[in-house]
Amino acid sequence: MQRLCAKLARSLVPARGFCTSNSDKIVASVLFERLPVVIPKIDPVIYAFQEFSFRWGQQFRREYPDQFLKKSDTRFKLQMPSTIVARHMFCRGTGSYQIDYVPAPRITEADKTDDKRSLQRALDRRLYLLLYGTTYGDPSGEPVWHFPEKAYESEETLRKCAETALESVIGDLSHTYFVGNAPMGHMQLPVCKRFFFKSQVIAANSFKVGKCKDFAWVTKDELLERFPEQAAEFLKKMIIS
Amino acid sequence: MIRIVGVRNLKPLSPSAESLSHQFTQRCSVSGTAKGKGKAKAGQPLKRSKITTKKGAAEEPPAKGGGPRKTELDQMIDNCLNASAPVRFLKPKGRAREAEREKMGLMSEARRKEIESLKKQQSENDSPTIIGTEGLDLIKLGVVDADAIPKYKLTVEDGRRLAKEYSRVLMRKHRARQAAESTLLRLKKEAIEALPDNLKAAALVPDQTPFPANRFMATLTPPIPGYIDKITEAAKKSAVKEKLR
Repeated sequence: MQRLCAKLARSLVPARGFCTSNSDKIVASVLFERLPVVIPKIDPVIYAFQEFSFRWGQQFRREYPDQFLKKSDTRFKLQMPSTIVARHMFCRGTGSYQIDYVPAPRITEADKTDDKRSLQRALDRRLYLLLYGTTYGDPSGEPVWHFPEKAYESEETLRKCAETALESVIGDLSHTYFVGNAPMGHMQLPVCKRFFFKSQVIAANSFKVGKCKDFAWVTKDELLERFPEQAAEFLKKMIIS
Repeated sequence: MIRIVGVRNLKPLSPSAESLSHQFTQRCSVSGTAKGKGKAKAGQPLKRSKITTKKGAAEEPPAKGGGPRKTELDQMIDNCLNASAPVRFLKPKGRAREAEREKMGLMSEARRKEIESLKKQQSENDSPTIIGTEGLDLIKLGVVDADAIPKYKLTVEDGRRLAKEYSRVLMRKHRARQAAESTLLRLKKEAIEALPDNLKAAALVPDQTPFPANRFMATLTPPIPGYIDKITEAAKKSAVKEKLR
């Protein structure tokens, strides 16, 4: 008797989950990120140990005279002794050539002016593209900060829908790389289901971003400030750094 | 337990003259026959090569009137070849022997130099050590905050303390990264599960296209705008010069 009841119950309840999500609109969002350009800052404790082990080993190494160690420097005079000057050597055919250069600073002008529209800011962190405008998730129509997105209509795959979404915002996809065919996360909203796809900036310094009132390239902390609490909790898990 | 060996297998203990000559004559590598006459005679001691020190020749140059003065280059080479390390590596026995000698009042040249270099090191301790090329070390570029580096002395105890802290910090970071990556994978699986059937099948297909070759890795300093043009221009100019020759 109990088995019959269980069988009946199973046949009545739909096989897929316990909430009917088939009628939900599916929206593909794109997490468009610029990867770090410079290595992140090193923890002082790590540097201290590496310095200690270097100095410990140096104790047991032969100390060659300075005249020998700086022999290569005496051939080419330093042009700007007060600033840091490094040399680039490149070989072409029979000769080798040297060009003096000053290494570019890790903190750029965009960092100093806090220009959120620039890709040259926060070079040691990842930057994510956010648009300010209307979104599918908010039916009130008020502009909010959101990721580039598009509702799924009849494309072959959801990744193609995401690619179309990004293309409509930045123009062309020649400087983008979509990572994998699968989404990296999803959010169940009252009116739709949003799937996130990861895409990376490839060899580009700036993009012409359209189809929005405003846009910004933000770090993870700044991104979490612009979303409501629940969404921020989810994004905190989905985005590592 | 005594091992009994077959009597037939035992070889005679005293070598005969024939076997000696067989051992000491050179054999041709191909045929195995003797190479020429056997010059070594049985019962006579072998001729060993002797390294003769030519004392007469070494004394000649100074006798010529002071000898030629060493050039700067030769002096530098001598200094490099005779360079010593600030701290000599001695095993505990060696260290104990040196301590005993010092108690007796004897001190070797090497030990004297070591003490001098240790005094120099202590005076130079305040300035941070530059690791790597002078203009491109991590402190100068701002990758590490010089103020936040913990102070330490170059001793075994401090080394152990630093090693433990280093290990703790790295392991904490590693575990955080592992946890974050596991969360990423879990969220991805959940997202795939939440897709409708037709889209799920497409999402499960692995993407075999390689990532683009011009996707740069993070470097120590950012790229200098306009630098690559300068390099290509300089290379073109030098190529033109070579062609004119």
